[in-house]
Amino acid sequence: MMTAPLDGENLALGIHRCDPGAFERLVQRFEPSLHNYANRILGNRFDAQEVVQDAFLRAHDALTRRYDTSRAADLALKPWLFRIVRNLSLNKRSGTGPDGLGRPLQAFDDGRIGPLVPPCTVSQGVEREQEREALERAIAKLPEDGRELIVLRFMEEMSYGEIASVVGQSEAALRGRVFRSLKLLRDALSDNEVRHAM
Amino acid sequence: MQCRSVLTRVDALRTGELPEDEAVRLEEHFETCPSCRDSLDDVGALAGALKTMTLVPERSCCGDVCGAVRDGFGVVAVGDRAVRVAFSERGIRMIEPADREIESFRARYGHRYGRELEERAVPEAIRRAVEDALSGRETTVPEVDLEGATPFERAVLTVLPAIPRGEVRSYSWVAERIGRPRAIRAVGNAVARNPVPFVLPCHRVVPESGGVGKYAFGTPMKRALLAAEGAPVEEIEELARQGVRLVGSATTRVYCVPTCRGARQIRPENLVPFHDAEEAARRGFRPCRICKPVARTA
Repeated sequence: MMTAPLDGENLALGIHRCDPGAFERLVQRFEPSLHNYANRILGNRFDAQEVVQDAFLRAHDALTRRYDTSRAADLALKPWLFRIVRNLSLNKRSGTGPDGLGRPLQAFDDGRIGPLVPPCTVSQGVEREQEREALERAIAKLPEDGRELIVLRFMEEMSYGEIASVVGQSEAALRGRVFRSLKLLRDALSDNEVRHAM
Repeated sequence: MQCRSVLTRVDALRTGELPEDEAVRLEEHFETCPSCRDSLDDVGALAGALKTMTLVPERSCCGDVCGAVRDGFGVVAVGDRAVRVAFSERGIRMIEPADREIESFRARYGHRYGRELEERAVPEAIRRAVEDALSGRETTVPEVDLEGATPFERAVLTVLPAIPRGEVRSYSWVAERIGRPRAIRAVGNAVARNPVPFVLPCHRVVPESGGVGKYAFGTPMKRALLAAEGAPVEEIEELARQGVRLVGSATTRVYCVPTCRGARQIRPENLVPFHDAEEAARRGFRPCRICKPVARTA
């Protein structure tokens, strides 16, 4: 059974067959997403670039030398690539395991998340740039697994099912963790606003 | 439903990922809890803002990564014989007749080496080695890159150039030469999988039982290649039909494989045919030092 090809092309199968240009199209399509993912996990763009290059080379080797045709044809390419980048990133980053989101929910304020930026605000220019910077700082303050989930859920817009296949947790657990991440993000943004107001 | 379990489901509700019954219960909860209802909008607003927060690499790695998995190939032709030659920076990696499907060539190359192929000018040294091999001229020692071959395959393949142009040897001769006299079938497999035919002359290996034997590109091509090198193809086949594996000289008392250059100087009246080395030894003949015929025991 074939998985639905993206853009009408099964890239994994194309690479397996060594179709000219297939690998290049894969790199072009996924590099920005994978770089963002690795960069958000590692917090360092140089390490992220290294990880992403390594991930592409490993993916190519697996598809051409290790996977047979049916395995390549049926591969869920996007989550697979994210898993490779994830493993390489976690191997690369120093220090201990993920922190933060594993804590029980009680440790967080159970209240609503609270307004961030009114969705319809026509903020422009300087104001808009400040909002982005504030959001950037807030993301950076999240624990590693929180940053990772924010990327997969809100930047990549993956379903909980897809995220589960990338990070290997149940969808129910992921829903809780995503909520906690949003909450932490919101709290960081409020702190920021307070500081800005003073 | 408690606020806590509602809040952890708000984001999945937003994208329609909640099962029907849970979605209904959330909507019911919202009617009595405006705070949770507002959270749905807040998550939506945050999601919209986060979507644009991707970090882009300073420079794309596309050129580097794609270049790292790419080798070159080109066509080399002599007369009406044309082959496709793929090569890494270390040498020739794969050869096959140019009239075969390019797609399967690319795929087999990829499965073996994990590399893609792009058409390039064939480096001069490689072109010359392939042209010599195709035309049956004395071959310049070709640069061959046998990465990916097993140590056994490598041993078999690197012994092939020791078979002189215009001569043939048996699979058991090759087996003996690499120090694995009993691995005749494995030698046959390794020879059959030769990634660089013509240049590493697997066409000079023939079955003990007779004829010129099989060839990856068909027996007619094998006969033609041998004939172009000056090997007496019909004589080889005729001797094999008669069960003659070795020939001796009545004057020198030396025995050879039939295509050894020493053997081919024996006058017909002095030629002594043997079935195997034991027979030759019994009759007081010694093995030739040039072709080193195998001490084959039937």
